[in-house]
Amino acid sequence: MIRFEGVSRRYGEQVAVDRVTLEVPRGSICVLLGESGSGKSTLMRMVNRLVEPSAGRVLVDGRDVAGAEPEALRRGIGYVIQSVGLFPHWRVGDNIATVPRLLGWDAARVARRVDVLLDLVGLDAALFRDRFPHELSGGQAQRVGLARALAADPPLLLMDEPFSALDPGTRRGLQSALREIHAETGKTILFVTHDVEEALTLADTLAVLDQGRLVAQGSSASLLQEAEKGPVRRIFGKESLAFHRLATLPASSLARPEDARQDLPMLPADASLKQALMLMLAEGSACLAIPAEGAFPGGTLHWADLVAPR
Amino acid sequence: MILLLGNLLLFLVALAAAPRLGWLWQALFPGISRPVWDSQSWFALLAEHLMLALGATLIAALIGLSAAILATRPAGRALRPLLDSMFSLAQAVPPIAAIALALPLMGFGAAPTLLALVLYAALPVMRSAVAGLDAVPAAVLDAARGTGMGPGRILAQIELPLALPVIQAGLRVALVLAIATTAVGAVAGARCLGTPIVTGLANGNLSWVLQGAVFTAWLAVIADQALRLGLDPERRRSNGRLAPAR
Repeated sequence: MIRFEGVSRRYGEQVAVDRVTLEVPRGSICVLLGESGSGKSTLMRMVNRLVEPSAGRVLVDGRDVAGAEPEALRRGIGYVIQSVGLFPHWRVGDNIATVPRLLGWDAARVARRVDVLLDLVGLDAALFRDRFPHELSGGQAQRVGLARALAADPPLLLMDEPFSALDPGTRRGLQSALREIHAETGKTILFVTHDVEEALTLADTLAVLDQGRLVAQGSSASLLQEAEKGPVRRIFGKESLAFHRLATLPASSLARPEDARQDLPMLPADASLKQALMLMLAEGSACLAIPAEGAFPGGTLHWADLVAPR
Repeated sequence: MILLLGNLLLFLVALAAAPRLGWLWQALFPGISRPVWDSQSWFALLAEHLMLALGATLIAALIGLSAAILATRPAGRALRPLLDSMFSLAQAVPPIAAIALALPLMGFGAAPTLLALVLYAALPVMRSAVAGLDAVPAAVLDAARGTGMGPGRILAQIELPLALPVIQAGLRVALVLAIATTAVGAVAGARCLGTPIVTGLANGNLSWVLQGAVFTAWLAVIADQALRLGLDPERRRSNGRLAPAR
């Protein structure tokens, strides 16, 4: 869907992005992870030509974006930013309708679409359609921002630290909302963040940037297995690396095929080892029962297996 | 609001009454043979005065706004200090001097007055428009570009509407400056509330000078009152554009 081919961006002597080659498969969430100043936003903004590469090229659907008319290109790519950037003098409905109106949809179709989108991002259309942005909480505003980006049903979504300014509870709510929307719509999403937990929660594939260079890419599990040294280890935090690794492994993979005892705390079959560890700590129990689901026959997870060397 | 309307009404009544108060002017200036100003109707003078001020403000608004838009575009940013000092210089020249300098080129009448007023009123419009356009949040502009709006559409639909309250404030200042300053146009032969002052000075008729001065000052006070009303923050917030900071 997106291909960066040897892409660089220089500002005078400063190299913001340094020869990055990266492929984002259709329908996946690719998270660009890095500290501030690592070039992740700059890299992302080259996709909709808000930044032009100094060298290399960016392909969307096999076509070089440099050959596309910038405004037309952007109308086909959803764009969500940290500070949301809702138009303060327009009502929520008008904000969401921005791109459909630019594309010349008729009023009835726009109105229907606005209501569908408000519903998709979990806001009551009747209640929110006519509000002004200053009447929204931070989380609500970003839900509207997401709806605006999705309005014309673009196949591709660029999200630049969209949840970083929100408090942790709101952030988790929006992360799971995004996961659901992704499952429902199958959009390709390029997601920029500096938050390791967020990256691990959302990513199908991770790309780690450090000082403008791509230093690691792959699934979160494989990336953490290999992260014994270097910038990846630093970005994930060397003390909590093992903990983050648990988040990438399914709890069911370590369960013993014993009949689940009724008196044990229950862990859902799709939980990660990190969630298992949290539940053990919370319940003060060294064993957890995992019920059967799908191909998994059910079993018991033991503390000893969790801490055993792998 | 009531105060303003009351003052305005009183002003109009006084304009209508002035020619009929011959005994008053006679009592004040016993040595003057024709103390009543009757060359032109006061209302005709008022109308021409306001036309001059409004016309000058309109032209100043067009020039100031264009300069502000130019100065806030990426391509025009380098011109900004130059434009700012040009407009400051234009305002620094006293209108009476601007009129005197323009007289040989433009002749007597309304034209040199109009020029002087435009020079005088363009700066507040430009300054306020630049401030208003600068205050549009960067995130809003980034989002507008990101949704695929072109530069012209961003200016018309996002930047100008958001800057409007600040631009309006500048326009009001310009209008009040123009109304208060128009009277000097009388020295160049422009008909306005300053005409009786200049004519009176030329003829040694202090009664005319007094009447012209009172009405000129009175009108400026009314304009200033209206300006204050327009700048009242409570009223400005009600148009929904100046969203309270979150």
